[in-house]
Amino acid sequence: MIELKNVTRRFGDTVAVDSINLTIETGEVCVLVGSSGCGKSTTLRMINRLLPLSAGEILVDGEDIATMNPEQLRLNMGYVIQGTGLFPHWTVARNIAMVPRLLNWPKKRIDERVDELMTLLDLDPVTHAHKYPQQLSGGQAQRVGVARALAADPNILLMDEPFGALDAITRDNLQLEMLRIQKQVRKTTVFVTHDIDEALKLATRIAVMDQGRIVQHDTPENILRHPASDFVENLVGKQDRGLKLMSLRPVRDLMTLHVAPKQMAPGMEGIKEEDSVRLALSVMLWQDLHQVAVFNAQGQETGVITRERIIQEGV
Amino acid sequence: MSITEPLSQTLPNRVIPVLGILALALVWLLDLGTIQPNRIVPGAGHGLLAAVGWTGAGLVAGVLAAAILVSILPLRQRYGLLLGLIGLSLAMMPLLLDVFATRHLPEDSPYARSSIGAGFWCLLFLLSLMLIEILGRLRASRWLQLLLLVMMGGSWVVLLQSDGLESLSLVREFNARSDKFQQALWTHLALALGAVTISAGLAFALALKMIRSPTWQRPLLGAVSFLQTIPSLAVFGLLIAPLSALSSAFPMLQSLGIRGIGWAPALLALIAYSLLPMVRNTFVAITDVPENLADAARGMGMNERQVFFQLKLPLALPVIIEGVRITTIQAIGLTAVAALIGAGGFGSFIFQGLGQAAMDLVLLGALPTIALALLADALLTMLAASLRPTPATA
Repeated sequence: MIELKNVTRRFGDTVAVDSINLTIETGEVCVLVGSSGCGKSTTLRMINRLLPLSAGEILVDGEDIATMNPEQLRLNMGYVIQGTGLFPHWTVARNIAMVPRLLNWPKKRIDERVDELMTLLDLDPVTHAHKYPQQLSGGQAQRVGVARALAADPNILLMDEPFGALDAITRDNLQLEMLRIQKQVRKTTVFVTHDIDEALKLATRIAVMDQGRIVQHDTPENILRHPASDFVENLVGKQDRGLKLMSLRPVRDLMTLHVAPKQMAPGMEGIKEEDSVRLALSVMLWQDLHQVAVFNAQGQETGVITRERIIQEGV
Repeated sequence: MSITEPLSQTLPNRVIPVLGILALALVWLLDLGTIQPNRIVPGAGHGLLAAVGWTGAGLVAGVLAAAILVSILPLRQRYGLLLGLIGLSLAMMPLLLDVFATRHLPEDSPYARSSIGAGFWCLLFLLSLMLIEILGRLRASRWLQLLLLVMMGGSWVVLLQSDGLESLSLVREFNARSDKFQQALWTHLALALGAVTISAGLAFALALKMIRSPTWQRPLLGAVSFLQTIPSLAVFGLLIAPLSALSSAFPMLQSLGIRGIGWAPALLALIAYSLLPMVRNTFVAITDVPENLADAARGMGMNERQVFFQLKLPLALPVIIEGVRITTIQAIGLTAVAALIGAGGFGSFIFQGLGQAAMDLVLLGALPTIALALLADALLTMLAASLRPTPATA
């Protein structure tokens, strides 16, 4: 658990972060979102002490970070930045092994861990381990960046606009990947972005920041339904909220279950239980259907979702 | 060697024909060698035909013509053929002098000597340019280039030691002072490399100081730039007075060999000259390491020492070595001038030769200086290239 209490950061006369209070529960993904210069990156960099606090205190699992050795603190916090920050003179494997080596793990354990992480991030260790960062695509490099952050199995993950420099398709893939990995490893994550859609997709809770203050801290659904101010309302997009809410909701919530799961007929199209209601609606509109079959992870048809139900209850 | 672009291999080459025609013209127009009745009297020049006869002249013209033909005809193995042809010619060039000496040197006069003419130098120079062009087209690896260099140097050394070339003025000058030559070599190397080593250490410390306290940047860079602007002869001269005063005040210094003239002022001047390129390259190389990398390193839990030794220094090293390379070449050249204040080295032959109007003695000093500089350049370029993180794919 990370607690920020009256945290303030001044650069000269300007106040970058203005007495904020924020509690990030263990295992949740807290996304700090706001326009550039709102203090979100500054907040993140105070949590691993890359920036000192002007006032207030930050507690990690109840312990004041000001009393801890900054290097020890950071070794237990994975750190992912925009543009990866991979060392160009080290191979992929050596980059991922950075923190384990700083912690003096035995070589065998490091090698095993590097293999394990590359596999987790869908990078083939045989083809990629000995490449240099310049030889990777942007998406691959950022996967290595995430693997490096996870290497020593830290409790906390700090991510500073990690997918900001990637193209839309790669970014989408990595966001899905992150959700998948987060399900497996459950790290307490602080994620900074200026992209509200990214925030809605990834966050357990979102902290919207403006001019150094937190203007709203809530779940994605509540941010969309009950924006605390005009600023938040504009940020989430006034008119677009209906569809955004639908994209938060899984099909599972609104489907009509069959009595017993059926085997999928060959050539039949459908959507998965964990897909969003928005996707289901889109499929129906495009194919001019009134209902669409829903499948579970094993490929059995477990029910259907109808257009009427979505229109009535989707938002 | 890797042949990755077959197209550039099969297209006709334009550089080699130009060099070849130039070489053909110059080797016919200029003297290949001269015969001097003794060491001082200027000798009589001999053109290519007169010097080596129809056979020799035909061979030289034939090789050049063949090189031109091979470079324009549509041949697949063009550069391989050219490499063999030009490489062999370069290695065998001293034979021309051998033939020249046997044909023209009077039997009965022990003081007569042969010396190398402008035509020979031009041929050597243009063939070397061709070789560089060929190696570039072949994308020859550094190791192959070094191997060729060693083979050619070896061939020259062996051929120059043969009996036929005993009459060559350069060889006579060498034979007359082979002890001194060896001593000059060691002195030259010790002075140049000593100055580079000391100034590298000093420059590293100064660059670190500049990085730690930015207020020192301007005064320090100003000071080392100022040192660079003083003409080299002036520095050698200016150091005589204070060092003489010091050594007469402290007799202990005298017993160490520190006097107003000799190696001490030479070393000091060389160090002063080496500082600017070293300090500037070291400083720029280390400060150029992207800040986001250092940020990532610190964020992952590296302390400042680890950030410096594992990130900044390795990334800066190729540029620092580049500074060392420039400085080494410069120091090897300047050490020749330091002979004026009695520091020794190859410069002493140059100045002796100038004083005695014996041009081959000047060459005996100048050629090894050039060779040392080229060797240092090649070795340090290789070192810098091997330190680059990735095969250039960035």
